[in-house]
Amino acid sequence: MTPAARRDALKGLVSAPGITFATPPILISPAPYFDLAGEQFGARMILTQGTDGTEFCLRPDFTLPIAMDHISSGAATPAAYGYLGPVFRQRAEGPAEFVQGGMELLALPDAGAALDRIIAFARAVLDLYGVVTPHMRVGDIDLFETLLAACDMPEVWRPRIRARFGHPEAMAALLDRLASPHGAPEGPAGMKLDDIIDWVGELMLSNGLSLTESRSPEEIARRYVEKQALEAAHVPAPTIALLRDYLAISGPAAEALAAIDRLARASALDLGDALAKAETRVAALQTGLAAGSLVFDAGFSPRLDYYTGLTFEVTGRRGEVLVSGGQYDRLLRRLGAARDIPAVGCAVWAERLDEEVAR
Amino acid sequence: MSTILLALPSKGRIQEEAIAVFDRVGLTISRPGGARSYLGAMAGMPDVTVRFLSASEIARELIRGSIDLGITGEDLIHETAEAGPAQVAVARRLGFGRADAVVAVPDSWIDVTTMEDLSDVAADFRARHGRWLRVATKFVNLTRRHFARHGIAEYRIVESLGATEAAPASGAADLVVDITSTGSTLKANGLRVLENGVMLQSEALLLVARNAPWTPEKRSTLNRLLAPLGAEPFE
Repeated sequence: MTPAARRDALKGLVSAPGITFATPPILISPAPYFDLAGEQFGARMILTQGTDGTEFCLRPDFTLPIAMDHISSGAATPAAYGYLGPVFRQRAEGPAEFVQGGMELLALPDAGAALDRIIAFARAVLDLYGVVTPHMRVGDIDLFETLLAACDMPEVWRPRIRARFGHPEAMAALLDRLASPHGAPEGPAGMKLDDIIDWVGELMLSNGLSLTESRSPEEIARRYVEKQALEAAHVPAPTIALLRDYLAISGPAAEALAAIDRLARASALDLGDALAKAETRVAALQTGLAAGSLVFDAGFSPRLDYYTGLTFEVTGRRGEVLVSGGQYDRLLRRLGAARDIPAVGCAVWAERLDEEVAR
Repeated sequence: MSTILLALPSKGRIQEEAIAVFDRVGLTISRPGGARSYLGAMAGMPDVTVRFLSASEIARELIRGSIDLGITGEDLIHETAEAGPAQVAVARRLGFGRADAVVAVPDSWIDVTTMEDLSDVAADFRARHGRWLRVATKFVNLTRRHFARHGIAEYRIVESLGATEAAPASGAADLVVDITSTGSTLKANGLRVLENGVMLQSEALLLVARNAPWTPEKRSTLNRLLAPLGAEPFE
């Protein structure tokens, strides 16, 4: 098959009957990306400005425009979308254009069936490009969240730890800090909250700061007191050890999941059915994609907090990502839907797949 | 062609110190067009053309390779392009123009002393205030990289091209990333540098542009210029 014929066949997969072929514009507003991820995407986007100062970016992915369109046509309506076209991102060696294809299944009632359909799609793409037994890396966000919820620790720390999942450096720094807590912060220690609020307010006024435009004296004083409480709220050493052990688990799926099971039992943690569900998802992935090797990496997660259950990537012979996908049930709510809506999808990198054939 | 183009800062103390670097080894730089001219000449080495440019322009042109060597601040090389440092070779660190790029918050933020605190504040700022935490800076790239290293994504950058330290008081931003040598300007504006808020310790550097079209002849001129300065030869 020629590269052009393969690209046509890929187009066939993403625009098959029952799939809405989505063609969002290339020049779009960057605001939703900043809204979702702050400056996380900022460095990767290719931005430009209209003469009236309006900001635009070249579409960095399809998922977000598709999800936004979906919400405006009724978030809870089940729908399957396919896409194929250029996306634009900054790279170390300068801006670049890539062809991305993919499929997004939104609001389908049966999450397991939706995941199976995404797996089948990914397999069909790999078949098209002759990738027989792919290498895969898999993580499970739901499993980590369940483990975190079951751990023994002061409630205040749980969201702070969750916020760092998927960012190994920040997570390691936080766990180090929890392992050796600081002393009480300097400042108006020992004062009552109201007095601290006044104290902070005075300082703000003498520095010419507005009391209302940014953080208010009350917010600062409350967090100051909370921080004192946080420093006093020690996370037990066994919990820190447990989290570190969990995040370090990475290896062939069967071994890694067995290690997680042992770890949970040894710490008498109740993971409910989260582990069994993760095992089911991973098994579906392994069988459905005929993975040659599948590494389950307990700490593997996109940095963005709208991802939920399974997350996976297929890597090529040189280690570059050919296919990546997963579940992201929180995205539609973050974009304005009334509740979490099941969502699963995967994106494929056409040029890298082309190179994989050539190799 | 064996002539090489050397760019020096066109203003201020860093300009005087840059000229002095060459003067000290007997390579006096003259300005045939007068003190306001942007062209200079080196009597001791006629095959070196000297041009005076702004420090940020020098950083940009060194990275592109449209000038051969130059003196500019390390911070500007890091800021101009993410891959900037890889596009230049440090011939010599010059020891002047020292300044730190730092993260500074209002002194009244008594609950924020480290980047980790800032990360917590950023995480729920939007829910509390209905807008992103705003960071005023002219160092957009440096800021993004430093904040990303600390796992902070929930903020927006407000580009500021001057008097950055005034941004919190004017309401343009909540905190700043700025360059400081003594910290006194920040202090005078009621700002405090975070404990682990030093992003980069910068000084003036003599840099060779890796992307310039280096012929053997030009390379030989360059190394004749670098040798008396005690600088690293360019391979």
